[in-house]
Amino acid sequence: MARMKFLCDAERCIECNGCVTACKNENEVPWGVNRRRVVTMNDGLPGEKSLSVACMHCSDAPCMAVCPVDCFYKTSEGVVLHDKDLCIGCGYCFYACPFGAPQFPQDGAFGLRGKMDKCTFCAGGPEPDFSQAEFKKYGRNRLAEGKLPACAEQCSTKALLGGDADVVADIYRQRVLTRGKGSEIWGWGTAYGRPDKPAAKPGAKS
Amino acid sequence: MKKLALIAAAAVLPLLAAGCGEKPTVTVYKQGQYQGKPDKQPWDNDRFKGNKAEWEKAVNARALGQNEYVRIGG
Amino acid sequence: MLEHRDMRAVVRLFLVAVLALFAQFTWAQDAGSQKEQVQRQQTQPLNNAPVWRDVRGGENPYQTTQARGIETNVLVQTEGEIWRQIRNGPVTVYGGWLITIVAVLIALYYGLKGPIKLHAQPTGRVIERFTPWERIIHWATAISFVILAVSGIVILFGRYVLLPVFGYTLFSWLAVISKNLHNFVGPVFAVCTVLMFVTFVKNNIWRAHDWIWVKRLGGMFGKREHVPSGKFNAGEKMWFWFGVTLLGIIVSITGFILDFPNFAQGRVAMQQANVIHAVAAILFMAAFLGHLYMGTVGVEGAYESMRNGTVDETWAREHHEYWYKQVTGGRAQPAGATPSAAPASPMREGWKT
Repeated sequence: MARMKFLCDAERCIECNGCVTACKNENEVPWGVNRRRVVTMNDGLPGEKSLSVACMHCSDAPCMAVCPVDCFYKTSEGVVLHDKDLCIGCGYCFYACPFGAPQFPQDGAFGLRGKMDKCTFCAGGPEPDFSQAEFKKYGRNRLAEGKLPACAEQCSTKALLGGDADVVADIYRQRVLTRGKGSEIWGWGTAYGRPDKPAAKPGAKS
Repeated sequence: MKKLALIAAAAVLPLLAAGCGEKPTVTVYKQGQYQGKPDKQPWDNDRFKGNKAEWEKAVNARALGQNEYVRIGG
Repeated sequence: MLEHRDMRAVVRLFLVAVLALFAQFTWAQDAGSQKEQVQRQQTQPLNNAPVWRDVRGGENPYQTTQARGIETNVLVQTEGEIWRQIRNGPVTVYGGWLITIVAVLIALYYGLKGPIKLHAQPTGRVIERFTPWERIIHWATAISFVILAVSGIVILFGRYVLLPVFGYTLFSWLAVISKNLHNFVGPVFAVCTVLMFVTFVKNNIWRAHDWIWVKRLGGMFGKREHVPSGKFNAGEKMWFWFGVTLLGIIVSITGFILDFPNFAQGRVAMQQANVIHAVAAILFMAAFLGHLYMGTVGVEGAYESMRNGTVDETWAREHHEYWYKQVTGGRAQPAGATPSAAPASPMREGWKT
């Protein structure tokens, strides 16, 4: 049984923002909404590192816990999705999320933020698969097409990997062994908790 | 009037009390288990016709395609 | 035993929250870690530890992103988890119990002791107690408060109380209406609170004789003997200072922070504002239940005084004797009514202090 996860390799990410563009194009997200973003650390200094970050589809998702209308759900693949018809746009998921994933299309004066929008792991939403309504609200449902998220699949350096956690971790393990450095799997400790972390990654950072 | 208010209060109090129980909002992911509102599974469509194994094969093939060591024969 | 553990959990959460506050200040020191990183890149090219340490802070000026928005360059913010534990834990659980217990206690008090009725016959002569302006301000504040209280309860407790009854779709509608009512009525309430303070403050200044009322618990228990007071008794003054003024200002300020996220306040500010807002609002509602009870069914004639602005002279004498004397200028007691205590008592003259 697959457990979908994202993995971003800071040793490889070149901050091309291709994943950001692919996500916007694939899902036709509203203006101002960034389901995925690239953050660069030590920009312009020796040891510059970049990471692509979006919803990590946490095991114990804080957004699900704080939602006043309980609009989130989690598929059997571990993808955290939400129902925009139920969302009231309160912004609590944004306060709780460690990764800053939930996005709102409006600026929010008088709390008018619009419906929350976030990365769906290209898995659409509760509407029927491939329907116009699903595409309009959540973007493309690539998972139901047997494909993986557009951001990961198009990554030119394969820094961003997406898919079943075991497969992705295996690819990464082979890569770390080959290059002999950079074993940190960023974000997995925060998103999936310590026990879920692969044992073969002693240097893994949260 | 007073009776009505008393009855209303009596009806509301247990509801209020229900808010005091701490419901488990910790949503720990259970491997392979579906949690929350109904949505169709990604293999329940025309393409995979409910064949979960075929869907998993397709997705895994895609995932493995991300390993360039395999693709370039490294 | 269990209680003890709960208390420890609360204390721990509080400590974590305090630490989180301090963490904001310590981030400023992270600027030194770039130098450290530059150095380390030369001596230990494979050691990325300083980079990963910086991931959690947003203060590092060299941590950038092209995505526009608030705190988009922060990779991980850990305060959200603390906020979640405080909000979903103690705030919801103890807050729910507080409101419920206060409501039950008031219902019990009403059931056991009944309302406070007039002892003497009403005279038929009325005194003006509240001017039309005072009544307008009171009811504007009261109505907006009730709207905010109900909609706030829907947002905080609705998921546990109403969602199982209503189902997802219907409850979502209710929550949308509640959220928008809350966000638009909130500023109205804030303005009303200020006007309320200005209007009522002159009669709510604490007097020496108010301590007598406090010592006797307002005569609410035991034989229910009458405790004389000014225009407002000590209980009303406490509600004014602790409830309307202090809690009103706290919920208004934190409410504005939450209601206008377009001023680019960070998530930590929102989390802290949310917790303070919720705690203050729950205390406010618990205190309000007392005010609601005394103002409606608890005291005969109290509701009419704010509804019509006038009270009977008997009511004024039995509830607010010093005020009655001030207003009537010590007019002769109406025939048939007996003074409620010996006139020689120093308490009788308390209104002069």
